[in-house]
Amino acid sequence: MLKGVLEGSVLEIISRQETYGYEITRRLNALGFTDVVEGTVYTILIRLEKNKLVEITKKPSDMGPPRKFFSINDAGREELRRFWEKWEFVSSKINELKENES
Amino acid sequence: MNFWEKITGSDMTKEFKTFESRVKKLPADYQAAWEQINVNLWPHSDFTGRNLMPILDGVLGLLEEMAADGQSVQEALGDDIKGFCSALASEEGAKSLRDKWREQLNNNIAKKLGK
Repeated sequence: MLKGVLEGSVLEIISRQETYGYEITRRLNALGFTDVVEGTVYTILIRLEKNKLVEITKKPSDMGPPRKFFSINDAGREELRRFWEKWEFVSSKINELKENES
Repeated sequence: MNFWEKITGSDMTKEFKTFESRVKKLPADYQAAWEQINVNLWPHSDFTGRNLMPILDGVLGLLEEMAADGQSVQEALGDDIKGFCSALASEEGAKSLRDKWREQLNNNIAKKLGK
């Protein structure tokens, strides 16, 4: 379940500002997703790239190889809107279920 | 890619050489991880292995970026390298021999049922 949620979360982070894998991972870790590693984010980014939801630019960094920077495009924004819609639905239903239980 | 390269696979050899030289620049624990990734990715290869080249290139890029950030390989990939590899391969759409067999089996069954 977390996999689908993470994909939306990564897209949301990218939508705020252009960013790169390491920064995204740190953001998720800070949010409390402590077991998310860069390898996980990497596979998500590949999927986003393949579905053409993000634009990629390579920029040289002060140390090491050039970094891949990700920014959102129109298709990505549309996908993100759908994600939040779905999420609203799921979370409201789950909460409903929980309230009925108790 | 010309005919000669296609047959001999010299285009791949060339790419492997550049991969190797990039790997050599990585820290030791990253090199070990690269070995492991290599081993775990090959079952997803098609007949010639050309489908894996862009994947390996991407992974190497990731390793380089992470090494530049000074992270340990454990921090970056977690302990499930096998899972990481199969997630990678299926994302990139690499079809393994197993998929081919599965397809064949499904086709055969469909044919039998169709009679």
